[in-house]
Amino acid sequence: MTSRTVFFNIVRFVFLVSFQALILNHVNLGGYINPYLYIYFILLLPFDTPKWLLLLLAFLLGWSIDIFTNTIGLNAASTVLMAFARPFVIRAISSGPESLIGDTPSLRNQGIKWFLYYSIILILLHHFALFYLEIFRFTEFPATFVRMLLSAAFTLLLVLIAEYLRYKKP
Amino acid sequence: MRNLFLFLREHYYYFLFLFLETISLILFFNYNEFQGSALYSVSNAVSGSVNNMFSSISEYFSLRKTNRVLVEEMAKLHSRIPEAFYITDRNVFYKKDSVVNLEYKYISAKVISNSTNKRNNFLMINKGSIHGIVNHMGVIIGNKIVGQVVSVSPHFSWIMSMLNKDSRISGKFKKNDQLVNVEWNGGNYRKGHVREIPKHIRMVAGDTIITSGNSDIFPEGLLIGTISDFRIAQDENFNNGEILFSTDFNSLGYVEVVVDLMRREKEDLKSSFKSTQ
Repeated sequence: MTSRTVFFNIVRFVFLVSFQALILNHVNLGGYINPYLYIYFILLLPFDTPKWLLLLLAFLLGWSIDIFTNTIGLNAASTVLMAFARPFVIRAISSGPESLIGDTPSLRNQGIKWFLYYSIILILLHHFALFYLEIFRFTEFPATFVRMLLSAAFTLLLVLIAEYLRYKKP
Repeated sequence: MRNLFLFLREHYYYFLFLFLETISLILFFNYNEFQGSALYSVSNAVSGSVNNMFSSISEYFSLRKTNRVLVEEMAKLHSRIPEAFYITDRNVFYKKDSVVNLEYKYISAKVISNSTNKRNNFLMINKGSIHGIVNHMGVIIGNKIVGQVVSVSPHFSWIMSMLNKDSRISGKFKKNDQLVNVEWNGGNYRKGHVREIPKHIRMVAGDTIITSGNSDIFPEGLLIGTISDFRIAQDENFNNGEILFSTDFNSLGYVEVVVDLMRREKEDLKSSFKSTQ
């Protein structure tokens, strides 16, 4: 991991936390659909990030978001769960050595199919933990499920747009 | 011992995961205790000042509306001052000062963060304990309810919105004073649920529900909303209804915190009754 990568990741961390806290948390389509783009940071960490660092960064990221929404522990727990699953997901969906080209997971290097599998599984895991921890009641299961799916779709859309923007410039 | 260390080193990823996850969940489920801690006041100060900065920019976008609401409120208050009344009776009655005591005082505050899209929604306002706000005070906008104070720092307060699974407001029908409970079940932020409507009450859509004043949080007679739909239950003792909130929770600019000046007396009375039992 070069110092360039470290620098870019710090900038990305600060940008995504501010963007989430100041703008996305105030977005609510149709009354209650809310995107959580901040987890894009975890999706984009380099393949060779040490596993302990992955978990600690996820905890720090979730905690920063929690400070702004005053839900201490909620986003941290969901993000740590998602980061924990990341190495297993990567191993499960990568068939050959060619699928791990480049430093970080990306739409361009790994292809649309790989990237969709990767982000959909992790986004759903994160959103599932987040929404069900928040209500912590099973009586509202179906309504929450719909909310979760719609929010996850919205997050995925933003992740894909961000991926295209990342490679627009040469 | 050496084997133990080797074991820990080999599986450190799982242990670190369990450790971080446990910390998060303990903090999340013991949130109320956490609110008293030093770490909390630091993070509250950070988010408070950032939110404050952000809302001082975004409040310009709603100035027109804020103005209109203020003018309406002023007109209403003007019509209630003594000079607005023309005395038709030649017999003059005096009110003794000790007969009329001030019971409620209001502190105006600006909303600096708000949400309606979560299952449990909260607001932050820019007044706190140095302005005299303490926990469990009610928060209103005009004559409509907003929520109650659940945590205060010196300069900010954290308010549990009506749109929260732990909010439950004691209300009553304006037409016949029958008591009901109002809750919010998630989803649409304009609509709530009315529980425990006695079977003999005849409802029509459009009936107004106001606060009952039973709960020490809100004064009596504030607007909660109007009945928009109801269901006659066959096998239960109570009917349930749907309520359209009078408050638009998505556009709260300035709110007022209700200070009940006689709350101490009410609480003392309750506790003295308990101690005699």
